Amino acid sequence: MTPTVPELLLGNFLALIEPPPPEAMGEFLQGRVAVTGMISMLCAQEAERGTETRLWENADIRALLRCGAARHGAAFAERAEVEDKDMTLAGMDRVNAALRKALIDLHIAAEEAGDRELDHAILRHYVESADRRRLDLPPMPGN
Amino acid sequence: MSLQDQLEAYLTRTGGQPAKVFDLARIPGGASRETYRFDVEVGGERKGMILRRDPVGSLIDTDRRLEFLAFRSFHGRGLPVPEAVALEEDGAELERPFFIMGRIDGGKAQSPFTMAPYGEHAAAIGEQFFGHLGKIAAADPASLPISEFAEAPSLDGCWKKELDYWEGVVDEDEEHPQPIVRAAIRRLRRNPPPPAQKLSVVHGDYRTGNFMHDGAGKIIALLDWEMAHIGDPLEDLGWAIEPLWSYGESDRVSGMLPRETAIRLWEAASGLKVDPVAFAWWELFASVKGAAIWISSAKEYRAGGLKDPVLGLSGWYTARRQDQILANVLAKLEGLA
Repeated sequence: MTPTVPELLLGNFLALIEPPPPEAMGEFLQGRVAVTGMISMLCAQEAERGTETRLWENADIRALLRCGAARHGAAFAERAEVEDKDMTLAGMDRVNAALRKALIDLHIAAEEAGDRELDHAILRHYVESADRRRLDLPPMPGN
Repeated sequence: MSLQDQLEAYLTRTGGQPAKVFDLARIPGGASRETYRFDVEVGGERKGMILRRDPVGSLIDTDRRLEFLAFRSFHGRGLPVPEAVALEEDGAELERPFFIMGRIDGGKAQSPFTMAPYGEHAAAIGEQFFGHLGKIAAADPASLPISEFAEAPSLDGCWKKELDYWEGVVDEDEEHPQPIVRAAIRRLRRNPPPPAQKLSVVHGDYRTGNFMHDGAGKIIALLDWEMAHIGDPLEDLGWAIEPLWSYGESDRVSGMLPRETAIRLWEAASGLKVDPVAFAWWELFASVKGAAIWISSAKEYRAGGLKDPVLGLSGWYTARRQDQILANVLAKLEGLA
């Protein structure tokens, strides 16, 4: 996914290391510090859950591609044959990008063929993958 | 030359007499434009002003002339909209395009990511929020300054113009394949909505966080018109009640009112009806538009050297939250939720 955890943490550093101009002190700087803090907190969640989330998502897409191949073309099964060898988040994201492209094509094929069973299986995958990817912002008080 | 010096030089030249700038300070938020508050003193008279300047990188790429004309369209017409004062599209002394507007003091804008953002005043603010939106929808855009510059689509072309635009943003800025938003776009194209009841000015970003209230239950300024255009009035209503702006709440929209109450208030103020089929389309579209904005902000974050954390957060946390919303809506529309 974009942006990545290393980019976000580097970005936090870059956002605060340069002295701001006088007009960007005060309220603006306070807001910027708060956002960088929020990003750091969410990065901790991503560091904890990110590998497991990607392993699940990539495996589930492979299963959908293999399942869909029988009705929509053997090429989809071939596109499932990309493995998670590099277990860094970036490495798994590269595999995820290839798998997601194949999934988009499979979903289009299912829709065009009126294959509601597969269409619904893919929609259920979207719900679960989005839920597993979620980042939990803790409740913040209003004014 | 500092921004304060540049601003004084500009105001002195255009006003024809010495202008002195005081208390120049950048305001958080307003991610599509740099926003500053300042006081200007000319001839012994001091006024509070707001400067909106194009950034180097932005959450969304919008036309400042449209925003300027949108402010002009609704200032002084019974809605709390600040006065647009000056527009400089070539940047003049400030080097980047900007406009200046009058400042409304004594209020605050609320983050959409806070619990119960309006506390005990939620219902009162909600009544004004959806009532004001209904009045915007009721106005005839052809009679307003925005029509000088904004394209007026046909009644049956509003949806396609907007969907084409935001799909184009996804096509251009997507850096990682996004199957959920792609599925939603295909669904919207397979099931177009009925024609708009009328053409209206669409604020484009009418939501929690984009207005100021006085802390005692009164909305005092409707802000952030940078995505204003002419289109189907249901577009704004769909965006206003998009679940993203109802942080942590499922029984109130925008942290204010039950959905049915919000729609009833909008209908009463606009004189229009909310057709459920049409509105379902515009609600799904609102989530697609949100996804496109967050995809775009992720790209801008990288392009800008990772220095704007608001772009980073929008392109990451908000993008994922939007994916959750979209996936659940798609499943619900197929009876899976």
